[in-house]
Formats: sequence, structure tokens, C-alpha cells
Amino acid sequence: MRLHPSFIGTFLCICAILAVPVMAQDDSAAAAQVAVTNVIIDPAIFFEDDTGIINVEITNNGAQSVAIRRATIYGGDVTVLSQSYDTTTVIGAGNRMTFSFTIKADVPPGIYYPYFSLDFRDAGYLRYPIPIRVDNQPLTLAVLNKPDVFSEGRKDRVDILVGNPRDNPVSGTVVNFMGSRMDPVPSSYFIGNLDPDQSRQVSVNITPEDPGNLQILVEYKNGINDHTDSLTLPVRFGESKTEANPVLTNIVVEYGNGHYTMTGDVYNAGLEVANSVLLTTRSPTTPVDPYRNYVVGSLQPDDFSSYELTFTASDVSEIPVAIEYRDIDGNPFEKVSMVSIPPKNTKNEENPGIALPVIVIIVVSAAVIGGAIWYSWKKR
Amino acid sequence: MKEPEDLKLPGLIALVGAAVAAGAAYIISGTYSEMFSELAGGMGPIIGVISAISAFFVFIIIWWIIFAAIFYGLSLAFGGKGTFKRTLEFSGIGLIPIILGTIISLLISLYYVPLIEVPVISGITDPAVIQEAMSQMMEDPAFREFTQVSSLISVIFLVWSANLWIFALKHARNLTMKQAALTVLIPVVICILVILVPAFTGISLPGGI
Repeated sequence: MRLHPSFIGTFLCICAILAVPVMAQDDSAAAAQVAVTNVIIDPAIFFEDDTGIINVEITNNGAQSVAIRRATIYGGDVTVLSQSYDTTTVIGAGNRMTFSFTIKADVPPGIYYPYFSLDFRDAGYLRYPIPIRVDNQPLTLAVLNKPDVFSEGRKDRVDILVGNPRDNPVSGTVVNFMGSRMDPVPSSYFIGNLDPDQSRQVSVNITPEDPGNLQILVEYKNGINDHTDSLTLPVRFGESKTEANPVLTNIVVEYGNGHYTMTGDVYNAGLEVANSVLLTTRSPTTPVDPYRNYVVGSLQPDDFSSYELTFTASDVSEIPVAIEYRDIDGNPFEKVSMVSIPPKNTKNEENPGIALPVIVIIVVSAAVIGGAIWYSWKKR
Repeated sequence: MKEPEDLKLPGLIALVGAAVAAGAAYIISGTYSEMFSELAGGMGPIIGVISAISAFFVFIIIWWIIFAAIFYGLSLAFGGKGTFKRTLEFSGIGLIPIILGTIISLLISLYYVPLIEVPVISGITDPAVIQEAMSQMMEDPAFREFTQVSSLISVIFLVWSANLWIFALKHARNLTMKQAALTVLIPVVICILVILVPAFTGISLPGGI
């Protein structure tokens, strides 16, 4: 029997029509086995305008391969910087596949839900919302400890605390210290990672030459984004409430042997020790031996020591006496006290000995009296 | 001696001598006043007046009355006769050389006192400092030289007075020359030692002269 060609064509069409629903049902079942199994967001929490990466991992849990036509992220107000995956690909049975997208969180702080969308070639699509948190809470900087006042040329320590109040870690944290004529040591301090709710203490020694501001700048990374935070510490000069305070007391100034001699006591009226205490007189005086300087040494609070200075001075009634000392860190200090001195009496500076008229008077008196006595006894 | 004792002239001589001594003491006290000028303020003239009054009476009492008493007492050992008033009268006249010596010392002090380097004491709280300052002034070359010169002059004129006192005692107490000389020289030599030893050696004799 010979089949008519038109019959064969009709038969094939009917078979094809009958087969399509069956195949469509098989592809949908396979696509249903594809699921999002992992989402990694870096950084976990964005700052506003931060750029980050979202990695979406899908897994084909079925027994059949599934063809994927397109993968993309959209919506949620954030800006997607990367392109969609528009090339048709197939994820095999039991396989995993990761899609990476770059986004920019150019939105105010809050929680946003962009969608990950996966279009299957043969069966519908998969839509998966990804929560994106945006938080502008920066690292915190706090001054833990600093002197009440600073002094010119004195090295003082400042303790800083850097804390991370965010819910995600930051990396590459560096604390920089800047200030004109502050000479901070160290000039910067590397902390590295700072986990959520953790803090690190950083100490810096500064030796200011002028009053000003110490700028404390902390730099860190949130993902791939650089961020900075700063704190300004005013550096004002003044007298410390507890610093050593050497005071001269019981001063006696006398003139003799061509120079002044000053004796007295130096008393530490402060609350800190004064080291390497040295006394000397300043211009317009000229220190002379044997006590050009007087080294007292260390003076504890409420301690005192006697001293002696020798100097020459002309036409002055007050002279400056300098007390040089150092604090426990070796910072030099100087205090100048004015001391009244008595008028100099140099009337016999160049006393040449018994004056000739005096010698003549003595000799003549002796001669006359001797003669008178001799005459009186001779006359007797 | 038949003439009655008359103390007018010797008294006048002693008063003149006392006045000269007072003047000299006032001048010398100027150095001490200068030393305490920072402390005492206007006390300088008061210190001078006290020094002058002291010197006035010391001259009369020591150089006239006490010396006459010593002469009178020593002459008793040699059987001296005559009243104390007569001894006082004659020894008073013998003060003239001492007065001359005091005047010369006074004139010389006008030269030396301005040369004396006086340590001015200020802010003093320790009394020992005063003593140290006094010692420093005593060691001042001009002060020491003045002390030595005035001591020499005093001794020279004291010897002259001693010579007069010997003759005076001889007549006032009816002594021989040898007895009168011993009576006078014993206290005078002691007095010379008291004057010269501290001035030239710096050693203070008992009495602190």
C-alpha cells in the first residue's frame, strides 16, 4: 500500500502538535529545580554612593540541564553598573553557577531590594530579591587622654580610640596625625581590619612648637570604597595644673671680693618632680666662679634645696635668675625669677694699702711723742 | 701738794675727749647703718646717736675714772699718799694726748670709712647671716687697715699719756719715779696689748675688744 504524501504531512503535524505540551511540561519541571543558593554582597553594608559587588550563586538541583537565556539585576533604586548576562548558557544537572553584578548605592541610607532575575530559555524566569543595606555611620574617633594644656617644645602623649559602630567590618584602617609644627610620633598608625563593635587604642606623642590644631585623620576601606573620618584636637599652650613649679625663697644677696654672692633655697611648689634643676643668672649679670651655675638635681614635690650663685652686675637693682629643669619625659623648662640685689659697694676695689699721708702721720706722731718723752726724762 | 684739788680743768678735758670719741663713734657707726640699710630703713641716725652716747660715757668712765682708780689702787701697794681726787685731777690732765690721738683717728677715719666695703643685707631670715656679714666687714681690707692704723695711733698717744701719768702719779701719790712708772705701765701695757693684739692678729681677747 502506498501512503499518500498529504497524509504523511498531516500525520507529522498532528504528532508535533501533540508533542509540544509534553516537552513544555518537561522544561518547566527542570527549571523549577534551579534555585539561588548563595548571595554574597561586598561590602555587606554600603555607604551612600559606595560601589559594591553582588555575587549570586544558583544551583541546578534537577536531573536535567536547564538553558538560561539571561541573568540580570534590576530595580531597588540602586544603580547597576555592570551588564546583564545576555548569552544563552546551560547549567547542567547538579551544577552551580555564579553571576556577579556591580552596583552603586547612590541612594539615601535604608534597605533596598533589587531583584536578581534569571530568564530560562525554555521555561519562564526566576526572580530573587536581594536586600541591600545603606548606612552612613562612620568610624568613631575619641580622645581618651590628653594633657590639660600643652607647652612649647614639651612632648606630650595623646591617646585616641578608633571604634567601628557599623554592622560590617572595615579594612585597611590607618590613623594619620597631622599638624603644623606638631611633630607627631608616630605620624601614622596602621590598624587594618576593624570588626563590628570593635575598637583600637592609638597613642601619639606630639611636641608642638606653636599653638594650633592636631588633625587626626582615619582612613579605611568599605569594600573597595575609600572613606575618611577626622577629629581636630586643639593644641593650646598654658601652664599645667600639676607641673613642677620651682620657687626661690630665703634669698640673701651680698657683695664681697668683687662679686655678688646669692644664697637661698629653691622649693618645688608643684605637683610633679623637677629633674636636672640648674640655676644660673642671666644678662645683664655675668656669672663668675666659683658658682657660675648651681646644679640642684632632682626636686620632688614639696622638696627644697639650698643653692649659691656668684656673679657680677653693674647699675642694676634687679637681676634675672633662671631655673632650668626637666619633667619626667625630659622636656626642658625654664623659669626666670627677678631678684633684687643691694647696691654694689666698690669703694675699696683697688685698695693699695696704707696711704702715704697716714704713714706720715703715724711716723711723725711717733717721732714727736718719742722726742717729747725723751725730753721730759732728760729734763728730769 | 698744798693747792686744793680742782677737777674743773681735768673734767673739761675729759668732756672734750668724750665729745671727740662720740664724734668718731658716730662716723664709724655709719658703716653699720649702711649694712642694715635694707632692713632698718631710717634707723641709721638712731644707730649713730646710740653709738655716740655710748662712746661719750665710755671715754669718761674708762679713760678717766677707771684708769685713775687703777692708778690709785696700784699706788697703794707702793705706799702712795694723796687723795683719789688728786689722782683724778692729775690723770685727767694726762688724757690730753689720748684726745689728740682720738682726733687724729677721727680725721683718718674720714679717709677710711668711705673705703670700707659694707655688705648690705637684704631679705634676711637667718640671724647667722648677720654675724657672717659682720665678720665679712671685719675682714674688709679697708676696715682692717683702719683698725690697725687707729690702734697704732692710739698706742702712740697712749704712751705719751702714760709718760704724763707717771709724772702726775709721782706728785699726786708721793711715789718714786720707779714706783710711779710701775703703777702706770702695768695697766697701760695691758691696755696696749688689748688694743694691738686683736688689731694685728685678728684674735679676740676676753672682753671682745
